[in-house]
Amino acid sequence: MNSNPEVKSSVLVIEPSKGVFNLNLRELYAYRELLWTLTYRDLRVRYAQTVIGALWALLNPLFTLLILAFVFGVVAKVDTGQNAAGQPIPHLLYTVAGMAGWAYFASLFSEAGTSIIGAQGMVKKIYFPRLIIPLSKAMTAFIDFAIVLGFMAVLMIYYGFMPTANFVFFPLFVIIAIVSGLAGGIWMSALTIRFRDFQHVTPFILRLGMYATPIAYPAAAVPEKYQILFYFNPMAGVVEGMRWSLLGGAPLHWYSYISFAAIGLMLLLGLFYFKKVEKIMADIL
Amino acid sequence: MSEIAVKIENLSKQFQMAGSGSLRETLAGLFSKKEKKEEFWALKNFSLEIKKGEIMGVVGKNGAGKSTLLKILSRITEPTSGKATLYGRVTSLLEVGTGFHPELTGRENIFLNGSILGMTRVEIRQKFDEIVEFSGVGKFLDTPVKHYSSGMYVRLAFAVAAHLEAEILILDEVLAVGDAEFQRKCLGKMNEIANDGRTVIFVSHNLGAVRSLCTAACLIQQGQLILTGSTDEVLQTYFNNNLGEKASFHRFINSYQNQTLTLRPTELAVVVNGEINGLMEMGDDLAFDVGFEADAPVSEIYLSVVLTSTVFGDFLHSSTHFLPTFRFPQPTQKGKVRINFGRLQLITGRFIASFWVGAAVNSVEVLAEALHFEVQEKDVWGMGKLSPRVSSMWWDTPFELLENS
Repeated sequence: MNSNPEVKSSVLVIEPSKGVFNLNLRELYAYRELLWTLTYRDLRVRYAQTVIGALWALLNPLFTLLILAFVFGVVAKVDTGQNAAGQPIPHLLYTVAGMAGWAYFASLFSEAGTSIIGAQGMVKKIYFPRLIIPLSKAMTAFIDFAIVLGFMAVLMIYYGFMPTANFVFFPLFVIIAIVSGLAGGIWMSALTIRFRDFQHVTPFILRLGMYATPIAYPAAAVPEKYQILFYFNPMAGVVEGMRWSLLGGAPLHWYSYISFAAIGLMLLLGLFYFKKVEKIMADIL
Repeated sequence: MSEIAVKIENLSKQFQMAGSGSLRETLAGLFSKKEKKEEFWALKNFSLEIKKGEIMGVVGKNGAGKSTLLKILSRITEPTSGKATLYGRVTSLLEVGTGFHPELTGRENIFLNGSILGMTRVEIRQKFDEIVEFSGVGKFLDTPVKHYSSGMYVRLAFAVAAHLEAEILILDEVLAVGDAEFQRKCLGKMNEIANDGRTVIFVSHNLGAVRSLCTAACLIQQGQLILTGSTDEVLQTYFNNNLGEKASFHRFINSYQNQTLTLRPTELAVVVNGEINGLMEMGDDLAFDVGFEADAPVSEIYLSVVLTSTVFGDFLHSSTHFLPTFRFPQPTQKGKVRINFGRLQLITGRFIASFWVGAAVNSVEVLAEALHFEVQEKDVWGMGKLSPRVSSMWWDTPFELLENS
């Protein structure tokens, strides 16, 4: 109601809601400015008073990448295959392509998970659609993602690696990564409010996930009998997909498509659960 | 017939004592056959109609249900049953400075806070200069807010909120923060809003403010509407119902981050004819004892008192702020100050004293309506006549006949 100055005479009816699932996208759109404002705040605050500032967004993933590339590329010498043109894919490039997607998912998942609790001050004092909170985390994490992609582009030029026609599918995998992160984040944010136990679950899942996701190694390296279990991890499909669309190489295993469908369902269910918890958020925070 | 701005019908809110908990508790609860957890009705069948342009004061003891009512009307929590209809744009101010971040500058926080409160960027930009002027932070606009004094912080926060445009405004205890000067500014702005024809729902423990601002009032007790009507009527009833209680110590701690109180009040007492907690009759000497403790020995204190009559409102004020000569003979860390009014000549009635205590004018603890006391009737002139209750005080002035004109 507040951020809609076009409506001259508005009538607001407050009643107990009848349990009908209503995402109310129109309201979310009306509050879009708040989304940008919160994103801006998070970014500004993150690097306020640091000397290197935004450069940290680059250094963090960079160090992880280098370590992964070393362990799996030099020490374990995992075979990262070739692209369509027969060019062998450099291990660093392989890892960055995988890491970009995973990093986005991981930061979104953990940030969104604690976002409502972190914003409890606002939640208890002001009305706005609570979905804005995890959504703003998706935007902040996206900025980091864009930086890593930029770094990736630089690497590709350095290695003389041209993107193939597969690149057309890249945005699709980005969207799936966002959906995964949001699905996980929204579930976590709602669950954490109801049961504080879940705060401790997130870091655990992410640690496990990082090794269970084919970031520095190809999914094909996983023994055949474990493959189907492996693809239960939706990020397995996303990471492989991103890599394939950027660098070429082996196309996606059909198991991935199952996990994508599962992720879509998770998001829908997550939204449903979130809306349910939203009603009592201010009461139990 | 004047329009209705807010129509509340049988609004009820029940809280479950459980809620957020550990997984273990919930799972254990599933398996045990214990009786249902205790339920608590914060609001029960509350019905009220507020006309357009009305300033409705909501009074009641702590825990009566005032905040719950506001939260429901602000859509922060859902009612369990009942319905409320609001005709017009609504803005709620349940706290001053929501969303303020200490690392951001004053300028950035104006946009952040305004955005959170529902203003569009365009609106904020339009009102920006007005907001800055009202807040008086001027040259500190581009410094991070964490460097602001507590007074500046609160003024800035209120400045943003004061420029919200809505037909219906819901305010919860927003006067409970800040020093005396700030409160005056708040009241001034609220008067302005009132004159604009907007509808306001106002919760406050500051009965003086309620009396001077509100055109009507309602009394809540244990979640139910007890009375609604003229402000005087409601305030008088509220006071009647609370007679017999010992002077309660309402403590409103400044609720924002920068506040560090280096000097704090520890106790308050009414002193009649030198006797602590004595009963006062007309013509007696009145004083107040304010106990304090500080983090380090100090030579001075900021102490301010306002006396309020439950019928006539605020009528007397005294402050160390205007008496720079009051200093402790030696640095003291813990002590008591006596504010001596002497023979104050209060006419019989019920009175309230509010205090501001702190190290300096911008670092105070506000003790709104901290002491309630009554002045008994007495024939002070010894002529068999009692004073009519036409004002808070009396004065025996000389009357002289000037040469005929």
